[in-house]
Amino acid sequence: MYKLTNVTRLYQKGRHTVPAVRDLDLEIPDGDWLAIQGRTGHGKTTLLQLLGGLDHATSGSIELDGQDLGRMRERQVTRLRATSIGFVFQTFNLVQTLTAADNVEAALIPLGTGWAERRRRTAAALDSVGLSDRARHLPSELSGGQQQRVAIARALVKEPKVLLADEPTGNLDEDTREDIIALLEKLWRERGLTMVLVTHETAVAQRAKRIAVMSKGRLSSRATGAPAASVGPVPNS
Amino acid sequence: MSTDIEVHAGPTGSRSPQGGGRSFFLRYLGRELGRRARQATVIALGLAVGIGLVIIVSAAATGVKNAQASVLHSLYGVGTDITVTQAPGTGSGLGGKKVGVQIQGGPGSKPSVCINGKCSSGSQTIDNLVGIPTNKPIRYSDISKIAELAHVKAAAGGLALNENRLTVSSHSFAPPTQFSVQGVDLAHDNLGPLSNGTLRSGRTFRTSDAKSHVALVDADYATANKLKVGSDVTVAKHKFKVIGIVSQPEGSSPPQVYIPLAEAQALGTQGPSGANLKGYVNTIYVTATSTADISAVQKEIKALLPKATVTTPSSLASEINGSLGSTAKLAGDLGTWLSILVLVAAFAVAALLTMSAVSRRAREFGTLKAIGWRSRRIIGQVMGESVATGLIGGVTGIGLGFAGVAIIDAIAPKLTAVIPSSTGLQFSRSVGPAGSVAGGPVTGGPGGALGSPTQSIPVHWSASVTLAVVGLAVLLAVVGGLLAGGLGSWRISQLRPADALARVD
Repeated sequence: MYKLTNVTRLYQKGRHTVPAVRDLDLEIPDGDWLAIQGRTGHGKTTLLQLLGGLDHATSGSIELDGQDLGRMRERQVTRLRATSIGFVFQTFNLVQTLTAADNVEAALIPLGTGWAERRRRTAAALDSVGLSDRARHLPSELSGGQQQRVAIARALVKEPKVLLADEPTGNLDEDTREDIIALLEKLWRERGLTMVLVTHETAVAQRAKRIAVMSKGRLSSRATGAPAASVGPVPNS
Repeated sequence: MSTDIEVHAGPTGSRSPQGGGRSFFLRYLGRELGRRARQATVIALGLAVGIGLVIIVSAAATGVKNAQASVLHSLYGVGTDITVTQAPGTGSGLGGKKVGVQIQGGPGSKPSVCINGKCSSGSQTIDNLVGIPTNKPIRYSDISKIAELAHVKAAAGGLALNENRLTVSSHSFAPPTQFSVQGVDLAHDNLGPLSNGTLRSGRTFRTSDAKSHVALVDADYATANKLKVGSDVTVAKHKFKVIGIVSQPEGSSPPQVYIPLAEAQALGTQGPSGANLKGYVNTIYVTATSTADISAVQKEIKALLPKATVTTPSSLASEINGSLGSTAKLAGDLGTWLSILVLVAAFAVAALLTMSAVSRRAREFGTLKAIGWRSRRIIGQVMGESVATGLIGGVTGIGLGFAGVAIIDAIAPKLTAVIPSSTGLQFSRSVGPAGSVAGGPVTGGPGGALGSPTQSIPVHWSASVTLAVVGLAVLLAVVGGLLAGGLGSWRISQLRPADALARVD
């Protein structure tokens, strides 16, 4: 469970201080799927990076299962990312020289998993996203949707508690977008993930359990259209 | 959380059963080098050129050093550590007085030959055996004093002389002839120039030959003058029976005739019509008890004979000039600096290209950090790539180095070593310090002018690659790789994952 208390992230741009996230309070229970919407430059990605320990809050605290990320040492945060947090990016961010299988396997390297186990889990992860037959393909040999599936397999192969997805369908056509969202929803249901998905697409956001809107660094709640999910309020008003 | 994962066949083919990501490390490294083949080639080639140059320069320097050692051996003879000579005009003993030879007249007129102002006219042959003018005679008794010094193993004397012959008549004026004669200490013939020789035919000296008119002749001189065992060679108007033909190592400038020291002392004079050389030598050859004692022996001899010139291999090596010396300097100075310059440039290019590559891969490294890779692991990956590139450069450099060495060996010019006369190891061709004839100076034998204070020795050399140099090349390759990778790694350590992910490819 995430608990964010009075989180502010300021950036220094030249002589100006720009607040990307301002006085944000938020709770994300285990197994939740929160979609964050908002216009470009209003702090969605910054919030996601704060949740993933890729960035540090200027003030306030971000707790994951009671552990304050801001008080953890860098190597502890790195370890946390390696074990508990999966990332999916808008531009897939696959290593271009590695095959699909190698890209997935890369996520198991920090865990010190043995070769045979890595091989087994990689194969299973690719199978779970429907890409068993593309294991030896390089990213450049895959379509956008397939690349994003590889990225999802890479995020999930380590069996994380949390999946953070930053515009996962932003670079995909409509049909592929639907496939990817359906896949994420399926995995979320099957694995009991806590999923935070940043998107500017309402159709995508409406699949989530809850929706929040970022505007000028502040978060506000909004009704969701997810039929199967119970809609709860976002604590921050 | 779902754990119902099925087991499937390996997606990436067969791999070694290693845990801990070593196989992944190598796979990733290989693919990155393949992807950036052009950049890796540029870096590797830069390092290869630098390393190749280091090998070539080192090999050339080693070759020159070997050639210097060869020159020293040929001059000293094997086993001689130190030579003792005395420059003219110093200390006690004979010499110091200038000797003048004047020949007047010419075809159709009555010739007149004046030696030290003492003239005789009419057709005549001047035949004398004179000590080389650059070395003042030293008393033979000094040899035993040196032999008794604490760190001296053995000492022997030698008398370097020139046999000069000039025939003048009213009808003809033949150019003077000259050859070098070495008086050999038969009690210690394992020291001095003869010790380095190889007997080609006949026999060498015996102790019983001390007062016999017998001679050994250098093979080249024997060939040029059609001498063989049993022939006679005339020295100071005395016939000496040739008992053996000897050859000296290639590149040396050996005496042309060797006779027993006692005979050389009896017949030789210090300059034309000069003092007799009985009881004198003009070079003393010394062997120290060990190489480490050479310096101590040098000091002891200096204390015993303050005005003597005591020459050790190292001091002689520093005085070798000519193209051998120039090449040594070229290899030592210019070559070394050129190698350093190219290496520094190669290292700089490698470092800059690696840093540039790291910048271009910022997003990739940011992603790896996001999925839990520690900076140390990413740095290890980049270092591995850099070291691998360096090693490729090293291997290529070793190949280039060997190719360069082969080319040098194929086209290397013949070198000459110019040995200063102060060493006392030359065989001067001068008639006398003031030797001259009417109508202009008389030139000596091939290769030198009369009174020349130096002698030139042709030296054959070849570049030589040692195992240590190959080891150095590998070390440089690794250092180059580590340096480039280290700078790239520093760049990685500065990358914040959030910033790296924000980079646009």
